[in-house]
Amino acid sequence: MSQALAAPSSQQIAGQLLQQPPTVQSINTNYDVLALFSDDIALANLPVVDDGRPVGIINRNTFMSQLARPFHREIFGRRACTAFMNAAPLTVDYHLPLTELSYQVLSAGEAVLSDGFLITRDGEYAGLGQGIQLVQALADQQAEKHRQMMESIHYASVIQQSFLQSSRREMAAALTDYSMIWQPRDIVGGDYYYFVRRPHGFFVAVIDCTGHGVPGAFMTLIMASALKQVLTSHDLTNPAELLGAINRQVKESLGQLAEHEQDDEDFELRSDDGMDCAFCWFDTDARTLTYAGAKTPLFLLRPEDEEIGSIDGNKKGVGYVGTPLDYTWDNQTIALPAGSRVYITTDGIIDQIGGAKRIAFGKKRFKAALLSRRDAPMAEQQRELLARFADWQNEHSRRDDVSLFAVHLP
Amino acid sequence: MQNVYLAATSATPEVDFRFDSHRMSLKGESYPENAQAFYGPLLDAVGSYLAACRGTTIQIDVQLAYFNSSSTKLLMSLFEQFNQAALAGNHVLVNWFHDEEDDTILEFGEEIAEDYPALELLTQALV
Repeated sequence: MSQALAAPSSQQIAGQLLQQPPTVQSINTNYDVLALFSDDIALANLPVVDDGRPVGIINRNTFMSQLARPFHREIFGRRACTAFMNAAPLTVDYHLPLTELSYQVLSAGEAVLSDGFLITRDGEYAGLGQGIQLVQALADQQAEKHRQMMESIHYASVIQQSFLQSSRREMAAALTDYSMIWQPRDIVGGDYYYFVRRPHGFFVAVIDCTGHGVPGAFMTLIMASALKQVLTSHDLTNPAELLGAINRQVKESLGQLAEHEQDDEDFELRSDDGMDCAFCWFDTDARTLTYAGAKTPLFLLRPEDEEIGSIDGNKKGVGYVGTPLDYTWDNQTIALPAGSRVYITTDGIIDQIGGAKRIAFGKKRFKAALLSRRDAPMAEQQRELLARFADWQNEHSRRDDVSLFAVHLP
Repeated sequence: MQNVYLAATSATPEVDFRFDSHRMSLKGESYPENAQAFYGPLLDAVGSYLAACRGTTIQIDVQLAYFNSSSTKLLMSLFEQFNQAALAGNHVLVNWFHDEEDDTILEFGEEIAEDYPALELLTQALV
């Protein structure tokens, strides 16, 4: 039943704005009205009601300025008060939802804001509502909805961060000089990282799921569970194979197959979500890094390098409709002498709009920031990068989630 | 074929598709919450437009400063459609505008040229 779906307690209605000022009848005179307005200086609008039937509203300012005109008091004083009445005020039912009321007020025009509107119950006059109170109620309602939503997102953030805790602990135990920046644009986000150590090395994944905010966060959970599952059956020293396995799993679980790969009719309803990421295995004994990337490059600074180099991965993202089910990624193995630094970042830093020309931060500025502190501890180097990044972004809004894993290998 | 004009918002670009004069333009930034909802109807409109093009010269001006990853995928679908139309005998010219200092956008244009070789894509630096 549809009633079961409604949430009556949270539904705000016109009746909540109900006020019951004194009323007059249409046979009352303008002198009667003048007396009421003079007695109560706060009385702004006076409803006219005949035997429970709403007739109109007399607005103080309109009334007073009419009566102030030459001879009007003498001519109209003893006449019926309907002379200066708004005879067609907005009249709404007690149970009308506030949002609906606000649209009616808007289409009724400016007069409603000054004159207010009549509220009826079963067609009978119940009271008066004022424009200013409607605005107040809408503002309160908005603030309350926002508060509820933010509370819910803040709690989601607690869940998302607890998901990252084991990786944080593993990083702290395995690495001596490193930095991990993880800044969701909207409290929760679509960036995710995973780190685990083994006796002869460590595995790290930096992942940018489609979207940000709540949908992005949903995707990180899907990807985290896919990653966890493939790690039980695949070798983490072979990152390319892990990407292929996750691709198959995600495409099948989200139904993200290309048209010829499935016979489903609901083509329009299907999602097209996935992840761009870099997966790396570092072999401590051999001092080699095996990298497989899905639209996520690896940045490198070896002690003998003059510039920060980059290695591109494959150009297909993982899980998307446009990535074939049997797509294979490539491993690239790089020798890393002691003192080498490795950086993996999602596109949030490099693509951020800023600067005087409102253009992307870009790889050049990213590399220059790191190079400017090439021998500094990772934490200090990251501070420099973030300071330059913040300068660049300046008053522009953050466009995407930002993540950066950086390690200095001893 | 009805022309399409959408004014820019903070998260969506200005869309000016003048099918009657075979000129399209996209200008601004693209990071809507639901990129599919924004681009879906545009892709449909372009699809019907292209279906009727025979040996037509089509010009597309693109001046985007930022687009998020879901917009990227849909933009690619758009270029894929134009690429197909180019393979079918139309002439599709893409002017890919980028700030002279914006390598990120430039590289993206180069990638499109590589992925969709039937398009005549010219990268144009804005000084």
